[in-house]
Amino acid sequence: MDQNTYNALVLGASAIGSGAAMIAGIGPGIGEGYCAGKTVEAIARQPEAQGVLTRTMIIGDAIAETTGLYALVVALLLMFANPFTGKFVS
Amino acid sequence: MTPQLLAREFNPQGPLYHKIADIGGFQFIISETIIVQWLVVLAWGIIFFILGRNLKERPESRRQVAAEFLVTFFITTVVENMGENYRKLTVYIGPLLCFSLLSNLMGLLGFRSPTSDVSMIAAWGIITFFMVQINKFRTGGIGGLGSSLLQPVFFMLPFNIVSEFSNPLSQTLRHFANILAGGVIGGLVYFALSGIVPGGWTAIGIPAALSLYFDIFSGVIQAYIFAMLTISYVASADMA
Repeated sequence: MDQNTYNALVLGASAIGSGAAMIAGIGPGIGEGYCAGKTVEAIARQPEAQGVLTRTMIIGDAIAETTGLYALVVALLLMFANPFTGKFVS
Repeated sequence: MTPQLLAREFNPQGPLYHKIADIGGFQFIISETIIVQWLVVLAWGIIFFILGRNLKERPESRRQVAAEFLVTFFITTVVENMGENYRKLTVYIGPLLCFSLLSNLMGLLGFRSPTSDVSMIAAWGIITFFMVQINKFRTGGIGGLGSSLLQPVFFMLPFNIVSEFSNPLSQTLRHFANILAGGVIGGLVYFALSGIVPGGWTAIGIPAALSLYFDIFSGVIQAYIFAMLTISYVASADMA
């Protein structure tokens, strides 16, 4: 196997890997939806607390998003700044 | 941002770096992040200079009302979340919020947001880390610093040490990845739409709607969240 074959193999595998990494997007989706649903329940019960509830929800959502963003960083690294190409050892 | 531009985005030798001088073999290289950062600092400098000029004890101009609203907002945000003892921290949180906010919104003016460069936000994360450690030392002494790592039981020490580093790290990556994702997704959609017909008129309008969410909403929220997290990390490091 020469360097070009190796690079092609790595890039192909990285494309699959970055797609697989984005499966992590499911988690924040479910979590944030749950968070928003609970906020709607809370606002329905106590409409005057809407301001505080919305603010808390947005902060909570942003924190719940973190794991998804980690996956995104990994996926972008694999796609555009692959650390493994050009590291061929025979 | 096209895929080609995107690939260069991550390249340390890419076009984001400009060589501005070559003095006797010593190359003075400067990144686009730094240049746009200077623009942000300049813009806020001008805004605050105008807002802060000849203030009266009883506000007469709208300008002064706006200035007082801004300062009151920063002070109440800090004092409500951290307590009266931390009022001094407003001088860090307020400018951080302003700086981060305008840096995120620079993407709208056609610049590359300085906050989509991880090194800029990593600097803020490192500041948060040291603020937390210094606050522990200040309120609890060296004993407080040590005992906070042994909570709730002594064998939690390794996990507590990891958590000390992971908090600023996650804070950094959250902000960075949100702004970068906005740029990347916007760029990819723009690139895809402009390829449908020759001339690329299909790319007019639709990316603007995405930009509304990714650039404006996400940018404003992330700036606020970064400041709020800094506040809550520092406040929770109070050993007293």
